[in-house]
Amino acid sequence: MKKVLSLLSLLALTPSASMLLAEPTPPSSALIEQAEAARKESDALGYEWRDTASLIQSAREALQKGDQAESDKLASKALFQARAGKAQGQYMAKNWKMMIPEN
Amino acid sequence: MKKTIQRGLFTGALVLLTATAPSAAHAAVNYQALVDADVKKFQGYFLKEFPGVKLEDFGDGVYALDEDSRRQWREMEEFPPYELDVEAGKALFNKPFANGKSLESCFPNGGAVRGMYPYFDEKRKEVVTLEMAINECRVANGEKPYGWKKGDIARVSAYIASISRGQKIDVKVKSKAAYDAYMKGKELFYAKRGQLNMSCSGCHMEYAGRHLRAEIISPALGHTTHFPVFRSKWGEIGTLHRRYAGCNENIGAKPFAAQSKEYRDLEFFQTVMSNGLKFNGPASRK
Repeated sequence: MKKVLSLLSLLALTPSASMLLAEPTPPSSALIEQAEAARKESDALGYEWRDTASLIQSAREALQKGDQAESDKLASKALFQARAGKAQGQYMAKNWKMMIPEN
Repeated sequence: MKKTIQRGLFTGALVLLTATAPSAAHAAVNYQALVDADVKKFQGYFLKEFPGVKLEDFGDGVYALDEDSRRQWREMEEFPPYELDVEAGKALFNKPFANGKSLESCFPNGGAVRGMYPYFDEKRKEVVTLEMAINECRVANGEKPYGWKKGDIARVSAYIASISRGQKIDVKVKSKAAYDAYMKGKELFYAKRGQLNMSCSGCHMEYAGRHLRAEIISPALGHTTHFPVFRSKWGEIGTLHRRYAGCNENIGAKPFAAQSKEYRDLEFFQTVMSNGLKFNGPASRK
């Protein structure tokens, strides 16, 4: 009985395979989440900017290193880019024909 | 009684007419005529901007605009840097798959089919490009597809282009679905995007022929005639969609994937704009 109990407690403490295989949750902050949500919106319009995703990634890495100020700075930059990309996409969807040059 | 029957017949005819009216209206739209008007305007823009350049010379890209660059390019084309790629492409085109067939089995006319692409497939409701057809042939025969931007896909495409030289560009836009794809490509061409808020047309129409640092910006007319190209900057041969992605990155926009719907629609629009020119790929570019 003692052996069974110790075996059961050992099993209970052992992490499951899915826990071992699961990807670690990337570090995040409210600002990063905001930037990521805005990035997805600009991407859905086809107007994501080139560096937005890498800025968010750098913000996560800075947070992981414990540099909250740097992380916020990068996330703010990403948020600005994402919002600008979204605004650009919304404007162009309505006005792209005005961009056709005449000579 | 007679009146009732007449009224019934009239109502029936009215219902029938109403039901068929939208499709009849669609059939009445001549999409090709709409597109042809665009082509005339687009080509007219460049002919007016560069009065000394003949329409057919726009297939030579930037080298149609500048005599010095043209002379240097012609010298380079005497021993073309893509020659070995064309040879490799020929070998790949004829190489048997595991099932005994080859790429040749998928393409008529011995593979001289550059002039057939891109086209709008009315059944699939999408634009089909040459590179797409090459990889679809491989997959249909149990082979792995090539990567989209460079390497073997560009080599096979270069071989097909080389044996198709001189074929006239004549891309048709026959249906509403084809016109929608064309319009999507047109929007992508004219809409500004990215951190620099620039468009394809901004550089390759409004600034075509002007200097960007040491380089002269190429005209959009004829852009799709000569791909794949061996770019000195790449040091190798690459596809049109590789170039599209590079351009988008240069203006600070996230590029679309090669052979994405977005880039295929753009290729469709751009090739339509070059209707009347001839395919003259592969080519070398800076």
